[in-house]
Amino acid sequence: MIYLGCFLFLCGLTHVTASYPIWWSLAVGHQYSSLGTQPILCGSIPGLVPKQLRFCRNYVEIMPSVAEGVKLGIQECQHQFRGRRWNCTTVNDNLAIFGPVLDKGECVRIVPVVSAATRESAFVHAIASAGVAFAVTRSCAEGSATICGCDTRHKGPPGDGWKWGGCSEDVEFGSMVSREFADARENRPDARSAMNRHNNEAGRTSINDHMHLKCKCHGLSGSCEVKTCWWSQPDFRVIGDYLKDKYDSASEMVVEKHRESRGWVETLRPRYAYFKPPTERDLVYYESSPNFCEPNSDTGSFGTRDRICNLTSHGIDGCDLLCCGRGHNTRTERRKEKCHCIFHWCCYVSCQECVRIYDVHTCK
Amino acid sequence: MAGAIIENMSTKKLVIVGVILLLFQVLSFLVGGLFAPSPTTAIHYVATKCVDVRKHNQQSKWFMPWGPHQCEKIRDFSEAMAMRIQANDIVFAVHIPLPNKEMSPWFQFMLVILQFDIAFNLNNQIAEDGAMVTIDVGLAYRDDILSEWTEIAHSRELRKLSCNFTAPKKPENEGRHYDCDLMPFLELGSVAHKYYLVNIRLPVNERKRVNVGIGEIKDIQLVGIHQNGGFTKVWFAMKTFLTPSILIIMVWYWRRITLMTRPPVLLEKMIFALGISMTFINIPVEWFSVGFNWTWMLLFGDIRQGIFYTMLLSFWIIFCGEHMMDQAERNRFAVYWKQVGPIVFGSFCLFIFDMCERGVQLKNPFYSIWASDVGTELAMAFIIVAGICACLYFLFLCFMVFQVFRNISGKRSSLPAMSRARRLHYEGLIFRFKFLMLVTLACAAMTVIFFIISQVNEGHWHWDEHTVQVNSAFFTGIYGMWNLYVFAIMFLYAPSHKRYGDEQSNGDLGVNSGEDMQLTTTVTHADGPTEIYKMARKEAQE
Repeated sequence: MIYLGCFLFLCGLTHVTASYPIWWSLAVGHQYSSLGTQPILCGSIPGLVPKQLRFCRNYVEIMPSVAEGVKLGIQECQHQFRGRRWNCTTVNDNLAIFGPVLDKGECVRIVPVVSAATRESAFVHAIASAGVAFAVTRSCAEGSATICGCDTRHKGPPGDGWKWGGCSEDVEFGSMVSREFADARENRPDARSAMNRHNNEAGRTSINDHMHLKCKCHGLSGSCEVKTCWWSQPDFRVIGDYLKDKYDSASEMVVEKHRESRGWVETLRPRYAYFKPPTERDLVYYESSPNFCEPNSDTGSFGTRDRICNLTSHGIDGCDLLCCGRGHNTRTERRKEKCHCIFHWCCYVSCQECVRIYDVHTCK
Repeated sequence: MAGAIIENMSTKKLVIVGVILLLFQVLSFLVGGLFAPSPTTAIHYVATKCVDVRKHNQQSKWFMPWGPHQCEKIRDFSEAMAMRIQANDIVFAVHIPLPNKEMSPWFQFMLVILQFDIAFNLNNQIAEDGAMVTIDVGLAYRDDILSEWTEIAHSRELRKLSCNFTAPKKPENEGRHYDCDLMPFLELGSVAHKYYLVNIRLPVNERKRVNVGIGEIKDIQLVGIHQNGGFTKVWFAMKTFLTPSILIIMVWYWRRITLMTRPPVLLEKMIFALGISMTFINIPVEWFSVGFNWTWMLLFGDIRQGIFYTMLLSFWIIFCGEHMMDQAERNRFAVYWKQVGPIVFGSFCLFIFDMCERGVQLKNPFYSIWASDVGTELAMAFIIVAGICACLYFLFLCFMVFQVFRNISGKRSSLPAMSRARRLHYEGLIFRFKFLMLVTLACAAMTVIFFIISQVNEGHWHWDEHTVQVNSAFFTGIYGMWNLYVFAIMFLYAPSHKRYGDEQSNGDLGVNSGEDMQLTTTVTHADGPTEIYKMARKEAQE
């Protein structure tokens, strides 16, 4: 069930200051599966900077939804990049293999595509921070966190503001948590931090931009004399689609160094002056991506060897492009499959078993 | 007395009255815009998926989504699939309100809307031909965190799923959500308790085709809407202030009429009835809803509003009719059956509709007339009939206004030839009519404009640090406006005690002796005085 995210770079605590958020590991492995049954131990989350640790301890009740959000982001990333050379899942090993590695504390480098300042990294940051904002807002609506809502912001005795004028939206709150937590480590004056901050913010903005207003009329005889409206979160797939568009049109930047009183500061400037400069909604990057054809531990590429390709497609998932021109192998597989299924809500499917024969094409 | 107060008032006094009323009008807008919060609040809830694990040990049958004694939860249905949980053992639990908050009687009403999150699955699609969801719902309350839940209602309801999927139905779009319409779920006419709990089940019975073909329901979302306590307080305060004001002017008005020697005419009675219906709306019986659990208050409010609208619309018709200035004898309510009929019939239709919806909700808060096909058709029929009645009414009204204006222009030309008394009488009539016409149009235009603003606008405007609640301003402002309208009509159209002579330097003494010119147009034509005209003892002067 759990794919280990391409970017999960679990090297113990030796790389805490590395440029990719190790705490994302919250969303996978046994950390995640124990969520909800055991309280979260903030100290056991790898890679938290002090500010995040403080946040975690203060608001431990929203940490499960933070983890949930990262997981949502990873799943969406995998959906959006399925069938591409970089498919957001470079390690398909399961927990059994990965677990011991973690336990021994060995440093096995699994993929730091995200460690480079590439488009992929930009996308992953954006979708993860969007996921956190999304999941926190949702968990507020579930009532599982008590700190959401208006009482923390309105003045006066608790409960009074609510009875007088209701609650402000929780949408802001989700973004706020995402900003406080995910951006906490991005405070260095280097280019990478600037890029991550920008992309995280772009992800959160995408949630706010896609909120839609729903209304209900409840006046005299149900007329629209009295109408109440509220903002409702979009399907997360919509956010994924949108950020994927932003990935395709991401802006390449160059790093500029300035000398300021606190030392050297790196900022980003668009590489091509004749393109429109990126807005706060666009993704930015400043290193070009590898082609992901061959495995390369330095760039974090796993190569496309043994990946299944689509013979009939002329797109990126077609065998020509996906296999980088190396050609493909074809084998015939008999699979027993479930068919003629009848679905019963929620949790029961009655199926027959059919045998189907497939041609499976894999890259050489 | 010659005519109404308005005719005999000097322009200066009229302007003063106008300015005072305008001040109150501005005040009523400001109260809503600056002081009151927004009228209603919508709170979004996502149902927690609980598992009914109490197989035989009977504990509480209510499932709490959070807090102490919370239920066993699952995060998504793939877990349920692995654990082989049956559909009937999954309970969607929503606690209203969210943690650390409590409901209050000041919220007046609570209505809840239901929405399903349904993911597209190629093999498990929503049935094309109007899929119905059967929900087994329970509603309970408690007034303190530690006590047991008490059931308010339990029901098995059908709701129609109207969902559409905009993306192509292909495997790569699996997991994308359908776009589903909001469904009415629950309506409570009073919020007497602090905590409410909703438990929803989706029972499956394949043989009876219950909940088959409803797609892959991922989540249930509810939206709870209630009136804001602050708005309720401002509203009550306004009502409490307005009731005596209208009541006093009403008593004063009726005293004026009874002081006259003649019996009151139709229009005077109509104005009085308008005052009564306004007072009926104004009387702040809602204060009781704070102390008592009166769920029928919502329905009662609808009825009161309906009566007032009916009265106001009838008043306009009769006012036009009584200012027709032709020879026809009116002054009887029966004459207006053709015009008033559609109003009464239309309001009656809306009343029946409201009884079918909110009336039944007194018994079963989950009931909705829109949930079933027959109900929807019936409701639409009522609303369409009411709409046709409204159109008919406005056609009649426009036609009458047109007739009056035609007669006015006809009279204008013959005015100089008339005797002084007759001329003054007609001039008074014309002025009276035009004044009311103007004021009514202004009020109606204000109502429409503010309605549009409040619909289009997001609900509040920001100026520096100040937030103006447009919606609240709309409600208090428009409510205040119609109160002032009724107030002004009762004041200005009350019979005057003044004589023409008091106002005019060369008063026609002969006219002065003839009192009691009524608020009616049934006076005649130069050649043939009518009964009423005789009653007014005017013919002596002719």
